[in-house]
Amino acid sequence: MLCQHCGEREATTHITSIVNGVMTEQDLCTACAKEQEYTNFFQNMSFDLGDLFGGILGAPKRERQTVRCPECGASFEEIVQSGRIGCANCYRVFHDRLIPQIRRIYGTSKHTGKRPGTSALRIPEPAQPLKVISPLEEKRAAMQKAIETQDFERAAVLRDEIRALEEAEKHG
Amino acid sequence: MDNERRWYEKAGEAGDVVVSTRVRLARNLRDIPFPSRMNAAQRAESERRVRDALFQSNSPIAGDFDFLQIDAMSEQQAGSLVEKHLISPQFAAHGKGRGVLISKDESISIMVNEEDHVRIQVLREGLALCETAETADRIDTLLNESLHFAFDEELGYLTQCPTNLGTGMRASVMLHLPALAERGALSRIVSNLSKLGLVTRGTYGEGTGITGAMVQLSNQITLGLSETEAVENLRNIAKQLVDAERESRAALLGQIRVQDRIARALGVLQTARLLSGEEFMRLSSEVRFGVTAGMLSGIDLADLNALTASVQPATLSAKAGKALSAEERDVLRAETVRKALRGVA
Repeated sequence: MLCQHCGEREATTHITSIVNGVMTEQDLCTACAKEQEYTNFFQNMSFDLGDLFGGILGAPKRERQTVRCPECGASFEEIVQSGRIGCANCYRVFHDRLIPQIRRIYGTSKHTGKRPGTSALRIPEPAQPLKVISPLEEKRAAMQKAIETQDFERAAVLRDEIRALEEAEKHG
Repeated sequence: MDNERRWYEKAGEAGDVVVSTRVRLARNLRDIPFPSRMNAAQRAESERRVRDALFQSNSPIAGDFDFLQIDAMSEQQAGSLVEKHLISPQFAAHGKGRGVLISKDESISIMVNEEDHVRIQVLREGLALCETAETADRIDTLLNESLHFAFDEELGYLTQCPTNLGTGMRASVMLHLPALAERGALSRIVSNLSKLGLVTRGTYGEGTGITGAMVQLSNQITLGLSETEAVENLRNIAKQLVDAERESRAALLGQIRVQDRIARALGVLQTARLLSGEEFMRLSSEVRFGVTAGMLSGIDLADLNALTASVQPATLSAKAGKALSAEERDVLRAETVRKALRGVA
């Protein structure tokens, strides 16, 4: 198969990407895959824009303030280059810049799984609360059913049993 | 060593198609940089904390673990752990100053300072996703009591690579799909699976090829889906593949061409004097097919699994107690296989 990007070289890399929850697939040659930086999580992110503006304004690049994580010293540029986050605190420091990237792969940024100190795999209880069924209620339901199915003999027996139970309850 | 069989020497539920199940959880400490930014002191600190979390817990499972230093192992011993899926190839290769906690029955491993500070792995024979995930979950809960893993309300468990964020869970099943491969259905299935958020890999993880129709199927998405949902998805698809594979096998086995291939594969394995790892995987795939379809008898799936584990290159060398040349290994492998398949017909 030929590369879907350049249409010239043999495709060697199959790329599956999820953008806003929609999955797309591409077959690319090694050169195009590399050009599109599919080897790194932070593909297609460019920092040239800031440098370009810096150049227009005549400000030397080096003077730009680089934000670093106070815990591990990683800058966002380093994270993008390596594809690795520096430490847990980086997620807070670079939160606003990381979230769009995370949403791009998962289509969401909301964790719905295990929380520390709980169990991940406990099967949730059914939504309705446990019903306590009294013998009286059970018989009433059975009588209703007997009437519906026109089993009047059984319904009559149940009616008498219900009356007896009601009497017993009154005097109990 | 006790005589009890390990998970890789047993056959479990749906063992005719599902060789094994694995669940791993990625976890990190809050206040130490992730492994690629750690210095030596921090590496030692995280290792000490993880060891203490297990060994100084009051849990009865603590006594069941050994701490193994990669440095203290020969290359063959470390390679053998990779072949048994207890550590990753990267961990073995860059293992300097790293260690792993392994349960005595070799079904649980906790890698320290791999891609994340803690990588909990649980392995079982056959299709056992719920059981395996539950064990991993319990170990995570136990370690978290003292380690307080990095967790964010929005993003879940925080990991060095954002592709593991959320649950940090990768669940996988190792499937043997010779009949689907034979019918050319494998590539179509693989591309359809990716649409369902599942990925397929070769036998030894990312970037490794598929040999002997062994396909590893895992969940891809860790954020936005709960552990239960991810496990359910994977289990449903695995069950469908099991059914499809069984149907295809029944249809194929009637063909004389297929019977011939299975019989020839057995013949070569029973008589060869030199057997490369690749050739073994290819031919034993046919024999496994023959055994599960009832065409061959004299060996069961558990024995076949045990044989496969025992003739992997590093495991062979580790057992011999020295580095073997490729030819020495091929001789030893052929010998082991001849012996194991002697009564098979």
